[in-house]
Amino acid sequence: MVLAIGCGASPPQDAGAAPQAAAPAEAPNPASATPAGSAAIQGAIRFDGTAPAREKIQMAADPTCQQQHAAPVLSEAVVVNDNGTLKHAFVYVKSGLSGSFAPPSRPAVMDQHGCWYEPHVLGVQANQPVELRNSDATLHNVNAKPSQNPPFNLAQPVQGMKTTKKFAKPEIMVPLKCNVHPWMSAYIGVVEHPFFAVSDASGAYALSGLPAGTYVVEAWHEKLGTQTQSVTVADGQTQSVDFTFKAQ
Amino acid sequence: MSSVYRHLQRIPAALNRLVPLGTCVVLWLTWVGTSLAARPEPDPKAGEAAYQQHCARCHGVAGKGDGVDARRFYPRPRDLSLGVYKFRSTASGTPPSDEDLFRILTDGLPGSNMPDWRHLDEPTRWQLVAYLKSLAPIFTDAAPEPVAVSGDPGLAKADLAAGRAVYEKLGCAACHGALGRGDGPSAATLVDDWGMPIRPRNLAQGWGYRGGGEARAIFLRLMAGIDGAGMPSYQGAVSPEEAWHLAYYVASLQEPARWHPIVRAAFVRGPLPKTAEDPQWQAAEVTDLALRHVVTPEGAWTSPPTVTMVSLRALYNEEAVALQAQWDDPTHEAQPPGDALAVVLQPQGLAGDVATLQAWPASGAPSLDVCYWSAEGPHAHEAVVPDYEAVRREGPGRVPLISQARYNEGRWHVVLVRPRRPAEPSGAHLIGPGASLPVAVAVWDGGMAEARAVSPWIDVRFDADRATARHE
Repeated sequence: MVLAIGCGASPPQDAGAAPQAAAPAEAPNPASATPAGSAAIQGAIRFDGTAPAREKIQMAADPTCQQQHAAPVLSEAVVVNDNGTLKHAFVYVKSGLSGSFAPPSRPAVMDQHGCWYEPHVLGVQANQPVELRNSDATLHNVNAKPSQNPPFNLAQPVQGMKTTKKFAKPEIMVPLKCNVHPWMSAYIGVVEHPFFAVSDASGAYALSGLPAGTYVVEAWHEKLGTQTQSVTVADGQTQSVDFTFKAQ
Repeated sequence: MSSVYRHLQRIPAALNRLVPLGTCVVLWLTWVGTSLAARPEPDPKAGEAAYQQHCARCHGVAGKGDGVDARRFYPRPRDLSLGVYKFRSTASGTPPSDEDLFRILTDGLPGSNMPDWRHLDEPTRWQLVAYLKSLAPIFTDAAPEPVAVSGDPGLAKADLAAGRAVYEKLGCAACHGALGRGDGPSAATLVDDWGMPIRPRNLAQGWGYRGGGEARAIFLRLMAGIDGAGMPSYQGAVSPEEAWHLAYYVASLQEPARWHPIVRAAFVRGPLPKTAEDPQWQAAEVTDLALRHVVTPEGAWTSPPTVTMVSLRALYNEEAVALQAQWDDPTHEAQPPGDALAVVLQPQGLAGDVATLQAWPASGAPSLDVCYWSAEGPHAHEAVVPDYEAVRREGPGRVPLISQARYNEGRWHVVLVRPRRPAEPSGAHLIGPGASLPVAVAVWDGGMAEARAVSPWIDVRFDADRATARHE
């Protein structure tokens, strides 16, 4: 029943992705709100079928972008890990929680580095500060097109610029685009509580610090849709919930 | 009196150059006009009735931007139920102010299909403002956050060199191009909320600025962004001082449009120029022609109209006419399908009528005398043909024309030299002394083979008396 998944182990490097940002040292998520319990849900996002070829990104339109990449940059829309799992799935508790959870004051960081969003998928709590950062010496604009929150389109023309925004309402998901570099795409999942995660390069996710209860857990993938499962978990217990997305 | 009248006539063109007197007069008139009428209490029934009568045709019965005419439009009419408005004085992501909406109704959006609604009385326009706000939840969910507009240095104190440096620092050229002609490397990739391609403004065409071409309007576009399009908000990314320098610099890029009703050809003694650089062109008055995009047979547009205006000049001597056409095209395409220009004349004894090139070629329409230049080939040609395809092909009756072309910073300069008495092709237009030559122009942006932009007919006037006077 209790699975010990080595989430702390360093994931295999994804050769196709952009180089990791030098700047952000913060762990991606889940957020820093005080854990409300001692239950946990974890698992893997599996992929069934033939992995689609990842599109090679052409950055020739902006030399500042191209110069930052020695190796080809590949689309992150569908990333199937070496172990047959999916990266960049957003997993969160969709229902079953009660009470309210104060948003952390520590900002979640969405960096633009090498004309690439880092991370590709970010989870935040509603009203948590989101720091939009430009680490490139070129113009980026963050064109956010949420449907529940007000949209915005902000320019960050100067390297090192930071802009802090908040999303007040939960929303799965808020798409980000850069109009200057149309290949840039990222998603922010906004939830009311701190129980969310993004599957990593081993396809694993973990939601910890949950109160005991019965929950609906949803896994979202930008191309492969959403799936939900119901799970009951007791204090001190870890339940394993895997999701399998079929190739389209 | 007549000189005052002439001055008044020139004000619209002069606005582009920010003639202070003209600007003051117009602003004052606007201020007086808007301040006199009282704003009525919102009456949903009156607002809806006015909306259904005047707006629904394009914006749709429920405001979803899906009216019967919507598909023909570039850009598409707003989906008013989204509450995303482009031309605001408020921060990106917040709704427009009531005054923003009133201004758009009053002034329209120049260069788009949105007309001005000044013929509706002001209370009706205010009822429409209230009704528009009822269509989108953002007006109840969020409050407008006005962009601070202060510190305008005025044209006299604006630092255009500093503005140019800000233009470079902010990366404006990525979309708008180095000289603002809308030819930046990211220009061709922009899409709107519906994924339809859109294009950044050609900043040299002041008449096409949807939200107004004056420095204050440019300042607002920069700070507020154009939500729903690619233009982001630079609020927080640039100081107000820098923004004003930039706004005046961008205004200085605008070239005043010369919408003369005719093209006045200038007489040249001796040989005609064969290149666009020839100083003899300075003798010829420039006439600008607005172009209309030809839509597909289904009535939809497949690509944005990139070429919106052509500038014509004509010089002539006893033997021939030299025409120079200039137009902004954000991409230089020499491979098929290449950029192309047709200067269309009416053949001798034209049988039938071609009201506009918009409807030509068409079955049953008469043949026209087409002088065709393309970036693909070395020569321009002329032929009397039933369609454009016929002049592109080798064939009898197709004669070469002297031509020269240059593409520089998003702008084509094409010179065509055409004999006044052509031996061939038969039926080609003969340009007699003191004649008046109706011409129309079609321009292709090669990257989009279907996309063709056409002008109305305009007379090229060959003033024999003037020519004689210069002779003597």
